[in-house]
Amino acid sequence: MSASTRGGWRVALRLARREALRRKGQTVLMLVLICLPVVAVTAAAIVWRTQDVSSAESVDRRMGSADALVETTGADRVVQGFDPYDSFGTFGEDDLSPGPNLGRGDVEAVLDVLGHDRPVIPLDRDSRLFETDRGVGDMEVVTTDLAHPLADGLLERVEGKYPPGPGEVVVNQALASRGPGIGDTLTVIRKTADGEKTLDLEVVGIAESTENRGYELAAGLPGAFGETENPTGRWLVGGGPVSWDDVRALNAIGVLVASRQVLTDPPPESALDPVAGGFDEPVDQVVVSVLALVGVMVLLEVVLLAGPAFAVRAKAQAHTLALVAAAGGTPGQARRTVLASGVVIGGLGGVLGVGIGIGIGAVAVPVAQLFDTTRFGPFDVPWPLLLLVAGFGFLSAVLAAVVPAFSASRQDVVAVLAGRRGERRLSVRSPFLGLALLGAGVAGAAVGAGTSGRGGGAGSVLIAGSALVSVVGMILVVPVVIALVARSAARLPLALRFAARDASRHRTRTVPAVAAVGATVAGVVALGIAVSSQEAANADAYVPMLPDGYGSVALSADADRSAVVDVLGRSLRDDQVVDVRGVQTSTDQGELEFEFRQGGDVLMLSHWGTLGSSYVVGAKVPDYVDLSADARAEADAVLDAGGLVLMRSERSYPEGYPAPELDGGPVTVDVRRWSPEEEASTATDVASAAAPSAVVEVSRSSPAVVLFSPRLLERLGLETSTVGMFIYGPVSEEAEKDLQEALAALPTAAYLYVERGYQPDAAVRIVQVVLAALGGILMLGGTLTATFLALSDARPDLATMAAVGARPRTRRTVAAAYALVVGGVGAVLGAPVGFIPGLAISQPLTRSWETGATAVDVPWLLILTVVAGLPLLTAAAVGACARGRLPLTARID
Amino acid sequence: MSAVLELTDVTRVHGEGPAAVQALRAVSFRAHAGELVAVMGPSGSGKSTLLTLAGGLDRPTDGRVVVEGVELGALGNDERARMRRTSIGYVFQGFNLIPALTAAENVALSRELDGVAARTARAEARRVLEEVGIGDLADRFPDDMSGGQQQRVAIARAVVGERRLILADEPTGALDTETGEEILRLLRARCDAGAAGVLVTHEARHAAWADRVVFLRDGRVVDETGAESVDLLTEPAAR
Ligand SMILES: Nc1ncnc2c1ncn2[C@@H]1O[C@H](COP(=O)(O)OP(=O)(O)O)[C@@H](O)[C@H]1O
Ligand SMILES: [Mg+2]
Repeated sequence: MSASTRGGWRVALRLARREALRRKGQTVLMLVLICLPVVAVTAAAIVWRTQDVSSAESVDRRMGSADALVETTGADRVVQGFDPYDSFGTFGEDDLSPGPNLGRGDVEAVLDVLGHDRPVIPLDRDSRLFETDRGVGDMEVVTTDLAHPLADGLLERVEGKYPPGPGEVVVNQALASRGPGIGDTLTVIRKTADGEKTLDLEVVGIAESTENRGYELAAGLPGAFGETENPTGRWLVGGGPVSWDDVRALNAIGVLVASRQVLTDPPPESALDPVAGGFDEPVDQVVVSVLALVGVMVLLEVVLLAGPAFAVRAKAQAHTLALVAAAGGTPGQARRTVLASGVVIGGLGGVLGVGIGIGIGAVAVPVAQLFDTTRFGPFDVPWPLLLLVAGFGFLSAVLAAVVPAFSASRQDVVAVLAGRRGERRLSVRSPFLGLALLGAGVAGAAVGAGTSGRGGGAGSVLIAGSALVSVVGMILVVPVVIALVARSAARLPLALRFAARDASRHRTRTVPAVAAVGATVAGVVALGIAVSSQEAANADAYVPMLPDGYGSVALSADADRSAVVDVLGRSLRDDQVVDVRGVQTSTDQGELEFEFRQGGDVLMLSHWGTLGSSYVVGAKVPDYVDLSADARAEADAVLDAGGLVLMRSERSYPEGYPAPELDGGPVTVDVRRWSPEEEASTATDVASAAAPSAVVEVSRSSPAVVLFSPRLLERLGLETSTVGMFIYGPVSEEAEKDLQEALAALPTAAYLYVERGYQPDAAVRIVQVVLAALGGILMLGGTLTATFLALSDARPDLATMAAVGARPRTRRTVAAAYALVVGGVGAVLGAPVGFIPGLAISQPLTRSWETGATAVDVPWLLILTVVAGLPLLTAAAVGACARGRLPLTARID
Repeated sequence: MSAVLELTDVTRVHGEGPAAVQALRAVSFRAHAGELVAVMGPSGSGKSTLLTLAGGLDRPTDGRVVVEGVELGALGNDERARMRRTSIGYVFQGFNLIPALTAAENVALSRELDGVAARTARAEARRVLEEVGIGDLADRFPDDMSGGQQQRVAIARAVVGERRLILADEPTGALDTETGEEILRLLRARCDAGAAGVLVTHEARHAAWADRVVFLRDGRVVDETGAESVDLLTEPAAR
């Protein structure tokens, strides 16, 4: 950099600094625009990093005050990463099964390696049942010598006695709140091979695990909760640092080690066994690319939002720039001076944003902890990441100043010095370039929409890239559109005419504002289409089991029918519940499998069913099967003849399945039974029979797949039983909840299902609301800043209007009209641009992997609200907020 | 003695076609070292245009503008900017100073842009401010100075760095008579010290400070006289 360039920057930065101080209001506005995303990302990063507990941070909560936590595996040899929780592998005979019951003797083997003078205590974690006030609950139990100094840091005393003695336990608040508090008895239930055993312990104190809270937990001395089922030998070892070499030596005898020294100060990666080093997750290129594109879009949005502020500042500095030119400043110097505003605001905004973000993060961490059972690590400020975030703020401000900087360097110095001013002519080239980019965006999106189904994520990247290209194209078209609006404003009322012409005359500030609104609207429309389409596809793919509000109960083989009927009777009328008789396919003897054939073809049937079995039985078609009179008569006839009825609904056979078309002849049924062993299960043929058959269409989805006649089942030698109940609706949500709870309390399994139709995911709803709100805020923000900047910029003109007798209200109407022009043009331009990626991305999002069918749903109401509603709303808000008084004097500097 | 500023047959036309305005028509004009030339004429006669051409802020439609032997028309934007940093100083009627810079910084501006170290430039600026009699105001911002003080700073800025061509466009227009005289005295002193000055004014009284007066009307030089005769020429009309 030459001396004069350096001097030029020095002067430019000085001017930018001073200008920032001289125009404090404007500076605050610019800072807010630049800071907000920085603050948000910083706070989020801090909560994320704090919530995330690294290996080094987890040392105390895992091993208390010990130097290492060692754990036998039963394998001959193990290989581990620096943290065995992250990765380990076992070698030897006993690869998979947990180790044998390792006793004190194995500690000796560990101490042979580490030295016998080290203190050692056993540490076990297991789960148990306990008696709550209302029933039975799950809890985690920790047993160790809690009084031993090595155990310090595993638990934190909250109140009462700590550590507990023999026959005593401490529990955490979550457990105490379910019944057993200090002074009460904790009844532990243990299911063993020979029945349930209970064990009473006295609760003497409340203590929280340093690892998490929220889950029920009890802690006592070793053995306090009875024998552990499958103990691994796990010990806390003290007596000085355990080196990586020690770890390797213990690995060689099949022991995993988490060493404080290794975790807090890991040796170089090269010390790792190559096997253990290779566990890194591969970075997903698609995710990275999409994230990068999202980052670019956020950057673009911030740049566009902040753009008008920089444009107005550059314009306010026009006279200064002209004087600099007269004193020998080059056009480059004018550019530098405006860019320096970006540098100053960006630097300040980045630092300020990170600072405020850290503060907000500090406040947000305890709040976030309330929603998370895992205890957060120590307050963590990820400086390298924050540097990047601050850099993002800096970059956004500098980029926002680029266009004003270039127009400043081309300004007519003589005209400015003579007190004349005027915007430069429209570029003829840029709109064409813009249209070309829009075309490229459409093409890219179309290609992306076509490819993503098969090629994985490459298509999404292409679509996201096309979205960016389209938005840039739109920005280039904005000036022409503004000019056209201004030209056609002749017939409009004064305020609108003034606003449209002013917007056109001061394009450097109008264009980014309109573009910001356009980009926001495009984003909202695109995401809106994507989310709606996905919802539509999900709703399309949803197959209701039962009529809306109807229910069913599926009974397991060992279920107690009368108990279930009792429970149902409490919330439902008797005539609402009917038994479903059928074949219990899943019993102690294994799983029954049915296959239906006709003419050598195996019929493909779905396996949907909520009735306890897909294979029901009846001498006639049960009433709960919804059939037309003709179909019912046909089916009844087949049943009467000892046949079977296949029930088909359009929805139960996904497109592409060969829906069974029967030729009216008999269908052969083969029954096989799979033996109950989980692995190496074998099938034996049970029976086979041919029988008359019919296929009937059920209106909704069928509650069962096949309806057998009792005679056919008899021929097959299969037993019938009550496999479930059908519940006629309506079942209220309240009744459903009561029933669910009551059924869960029964000793045997009975599953209630109530059809509620397609239920959109709550998360999707939240995302939609957040999107709409964010879009609204961004739009409002973009329009408001542009409008108020325009008003301050238009002071002289407004003063002139006042001088010629405009009423005070005029300022308000002009402000509202300006907001309407900016918001309206932006929304009208942005909405179609949003369709490009929106329609494109909905293709891969909704493409069914079975049929390749896609769904598109355009949320017209949302789009109408955004395009028409929001600009009007903003205009109204601006009109209401603007000061009515017209300035009587214009300040020039 | 060679001319510091030399305009030869300079024409400047603004706009095109029927809307074209001939701001200057084939004007030839010189200013020598040590000489203060007054340019007079009615409003719109092309006085300011002549100065912007001389200062290289604008380019002539036709003709040559030579400053210290360099033809400005042959130079690019950046080189003309460099000429303004090293050879040409400007003083305007008002709003001469950058409000965000102190007096010293305003004066040091062209030196700093030229790559002179900030401290050196500031020291030079203080010295020149002393010379124009406001050394004590070096750290004030323009908003805290009177119009006359501001114009002194402007003069200091125009001459700092030993620039030899000073272009002043009605520098006293916004000042009271007495303060105006002070400014002209400074200008005169600077020319006596070896600079060439061009003073645009429409007050005959001010022309008395000049060595020579050039009259412009409709973009043409209509007369050129020694300063003594100015009174005779203009007084009757003024009365
Ligand atoms: N950028 C421009 N575009 C059109 N006409 C101009 C421009 N600049 C100056 N003029 C015209 O040129 C003529 C000379 O102007 P100027 O040099 O400013 O006169 P003076 O300084 O003597 O009042 C005037 O008629 C003025 O209107
Ligand atoms: Mg003039």
